[in-house]
Amino acid sequence: MATLAAPARATAPASTQSGLWSWIATTDHKRIGTLYLWTALAFFLIGGLEAALIRTQLARPNMGFVSADTYNQLFTMHGTTMVFLAVMPLSAAFFNYLIPLQIGARDVAFPRLNAFSYWVYLLGGIFITLPILFQVAPDAGWFGYAPLTTNQFSSGPNIDFWVIGLQVLGVSSLAAAFNFITTIINLRAPGMTLMRMPMFTWMSFVVQFLLILAFPPITVALVFLLMDRFFGTTFYAIAQGADPLLWQHLFWVFGHPEVYILILPAFGLVSEVLPTFSKKPLFGYNVMVYSGIMIGFLGFGVWAHHMFAVGMGAVADSIFSLMTMLIAIPTGVKIFNWIATMWAGEVRFTVPMKFAIALIAMFTIGGISGVMHSSPPADLQQTDSYFVVAHFHYVLFGGSIMGIFAGIYHYYPKITGRFLDERLGNVHFWLNFIGMNLTFFPMHFSGLLGMPRRIYTYDAGQGWDLFNLLATYGTYLLVIATAVFVWNFVRSRTRGAIAGGDPWGAATLEWSIPSPPPEYNFAQIPTVTSRYPLWDLKDPSWHEGEDSHGDTGTPGPSPLREETETHTAKSLGIPMPYPTAKPAFTALGLVVMFSGLLFLRNDLFAVAMTVTLGGAAMLIGGLYAWLTSPLE
Amino acid sequence: MPKLSLRQTATTALTAVGLLALSGCGFTEYPNSTFNHHTDFNTAIDALFQRLLFWGTIVFVVVEAGLVYTIIKYRKRPGGPKPRPIHGNAALEITWTVIPALILVLIAIPTVRTIFQTQADAPAGALKVQVIGHQWWWEFRYPELGIVTANELYVPVGRTVEFELTTKDVLHSFWIPQMGGKRDLISNKTNYLWFTPNVDLGTSAWNGFCTEYCGSSHANMKFRLYTVQPDEFDSWAKHQASPAVFSATPAPTVTPVTPVAQVTGADSTAPAQTTGYVFPSARLATEFPHVIPQTPIPAGLTFDDALLAAGDPARGANEGFMLGGCIGCHAISGVPGAVSEIGPNLTHIASRHTIAGGLYKNDAPTLARWIKNARHMKPGSLMNTIGRGEYDPILKTTNTGGLDDRQIADVVAYLLALK
Repeated sequence: MATLAAPARATAPASTQSGLWSWIATTDHKRIGTLYLWTALAFFLIGGLEAALIRTQLARPNMGFVSADTYNQLFTMHGTTMVFLAVMPLSAAFFNYLIPLQIGARDVAFPRLNAFSYWVYLLGGIFITLPILFQVAPDAGWFGYAPLTTNQFSSGPNIDFWVIGLQVLGVSSLAAAFNFITTIINLRAPGMTLMRMPMFTWMSFVVQFLLILAFPPITVALVFLLMDRFFGTTFYAIAQGADPLLWQHLFWVFGHPEVYILILPAFGLVSEVLPTFSKKPLFGYNVMVYSGIMIGFLGFGVWAHHMFAVGMGAVADSIFSLMTMLIAIPTGVKIFNWIATMWAGEVRFTVPMKFAIALIAMFTIGGISGVMHSSPPADLQQTDSYFVVAHFHYVLFGGSIMGIFAGIYHYYPKITGRFLDERLGNVHFWLNFIGMNLTFFPMHFSGLLGMPRRIYTYDAGQGWDLFNLLATYGTYLLVIATAVFVWNFVRSRTRGAIAGGDPWGAATLEWSIPSPPPEYNFAQIPTVTSRYPLWDLKDPSWHEGEDSHGDTGTPGPSPLREETETHTAKSLGIPMPYPTAKPAFTALGLVVMFSGLLFLRNDLFAVAMTVTLGGAAMLIGGLYAWLTSPLE
Repeated sequence: MPKLSLRQTATTALTAVGLLALSGCGFTEYPNSTFNHHTDFNTAIDALFQRLLFWGTIVFVVVEAGLVYTIIKYRKRPGGPKPRPIHGNAALEITWTVIPALILVLIAIPTVRTIFQTQADAPAGALKVQVIGHQWWWEFRYPELGIVTANELYVPVGRTVEFELTTKDVLHSFWIPQMGGKRDLISNKTNYLWFTPNVDLGTSAWNGFCTEYCGSSHANMKFRLYTVQPDEFDSWAKHQASPAVFSATPAPTVTPVTPVAQVTGADSTAPAQTTGYVFPSARLATEFPHVIPQTPIPAGLTFDDALLAAGDPARGANEGFMLGGCIGCHAISGVPGAVSEIGPNLTHIASRHTIAGGLYKNDAPTLARWIKNARHMKPGSLMNTIGRGEYDPILKTTNTGGLDDRQIADVVAYLLALK
């Protein structure tokens, strides 16, 4: 980090608060973001451990490392954990931490609702994760296809944990989404027009709309399932003539936009990293915004491409196929614009930049295989085979996870005031990059050579042995890579090189304040005159000589002031929200209320009523106390 | 020889490189590969896939090369040029919007054409086969021929076969990678799939899989397809349609149970005149070893194999099959009262090479253990634990009733007499 000269003085702590209670009661978006980050990383490790166990079982034919039932729980929980408890909340960590900083706000619109979202996520995540320790984890896949999930075929408590857990987690996502939409619409600093917003905030903005539109269908699907399982309705009961495709349609109307919910924040993060380390503005800002919106919009019209094998008929297959192919266009534009961002730039290969470049390279592979199964006849040979497993891991690991790591390395100095160690970061990057390709690339072959998904074992001599063994070695490499990262992440908090307010020479508002940011964020709400205010401030002539394809800013000296001093909110007279544990208590009430349903499974009606009503009382009492107490 | 277009040439080259790379690793055997032209269905799919692979490869090379070139050329160097703050370029951006769109058109047109071609109604005269999914085995019915069988399909080459797909319970999916794409079995819905094995396709054996997750033993829901010559098919079909001919045939050859692959021929003991065509075991072992199940018998399940030699098929039929409860779930055509459709039809069980959803070989020692404690051999199996004193891993109780080893040996003798 020698080239990035750091100030000699260590920065003052972000907050004078400390101790466990201060975290439970916090309403500071940065502390909530930090909580999200730590929690989601913990779940990421759990999901990764599940993956390692899965790959160990599949290393060789007819292995007896885990039983069929354990394997089925592992692959279900790996998917559920990675989607709902790791990648989405890792994105949420960045939404929380960055959106207010990027738009020049002091917090989100509803700080206490923000805390509530986090606590619901944490408690819901624990609720859905703990059962695996007792061998009663959900075991019907993360997609939970009916009628396998109905009482007739899954009479144990396994699916109860899944349906209740996801329902609870949905509350968290919806509350957070409304919060961020309100924040972005209402709390932007003067001059921060929509088309001056940093790309991460833009992509986050799109994602919040995807969340509020995609979660209602799965909420409905889960309510139906919950009613079926606990109260004898027959939405998915095939004996009563139910059409199980109802679940599939509802699930994928959520499930496909969910893919973009997982990937767009990562796109946003690399759109911050690439310009910073190319020393160039983002190429085609407008088109990047529009393509993000387009991806989100089209994402609602393609859900049935997950269902080409169900027999929808030639017309429906054709329409969903063409719609799916259309998405490749805005996605391709993003890829090309990122490369063009680096073109004629000054590319610095920092660790975050390496992860960002890796996203472009790896996501492209996932995108190409995606186009391959957008063609239904070809997809009939690919769906539910390992080819699809390869595809979506290139999208989600090669895309989302790479982007999130880019974001973590990029923003760690902002969050903690210290750099992550670059040497360890490089080791992490290369092990991760090689491990990922070794794990997932062979799956293209095993899939096209006929290996079905979700099988806990297979016979030798099917042409899959080598590819499975390679994939397992790759997974072990990823385990080592992740261990290096965790070591770096924990160690650098106290041992990392001190970072200043703007350690990377970035352009956006979050870098104009000290690292870590003070609790009030901006002592003075900034006035924004362009997309790259900090570059304008530091070198007013930086974009001279170029035509104004984008927003070149208001003429004249930048009104932005770089803040280097950390004060307390009190000394500046800035009102901050009171810390309060009421949202956490309310969240606990919500989870307790839902978990009462579990006792119905064992006909413990009185216990179920007691727990549910007790939880409801906590929820309502908590809400009442929360809503009747002043914010500041 | 027809002149190859540029695209065909490039695709051929790509495929060749890929195959070389694969064979370089010493793995030349891919018995479940989707890259083949064994049927009209798979020929259409493969043509589409080659086109996708061709364009995909071009896009891959262009993007990755552009990326690598850019980061190398514009890496930060001492004395390098100052970065140019270019905000965008409308012409370029339009170009890289339009070019992918054009490529997609080239993919979309054959895609839609192939969708309608492969999902058209099956040609007249197709052989109809009903595929009925069960947790975790396959029921196959040939309604025109009066055949009900399980886990093993016979189809004649050169004739279109149309599958009518339904399920008795959860969703499943029917996939024979070498024959073409898969189709789901959906509760309360009937799906269709058809293909025509090439007329010049030799008598061969293929693997089939369930590819929709369906619970505990999803991985163990396999089946076999035998593409046979028309006369072989007719012989097979004629015999399969007949009721069970049970006579006191000699007891089955007993082989000691070992993990070594041991294919006891379903056709090894039978007098030729009482059976129809059966895919020869010897050919499976030499030419199609990948269709022979390798599942090891789980530890902790014991059976006195010496009893198998003394198994009495008549006693097995009367005492075991009837009183042991088999008749509650299994049909045997020609046996009064044996009409249940819960479990696989056993009319000609001895003519099959596999049992238990294709999970195990069909030989006396395996069959005996299967009857004794199916749930120990196949996770979640819906077949009751029959062996007396056996622990039932689903009910979590020890079976107090049921059959002892000698009675099971009788049932095995009976079943293996059902050629």
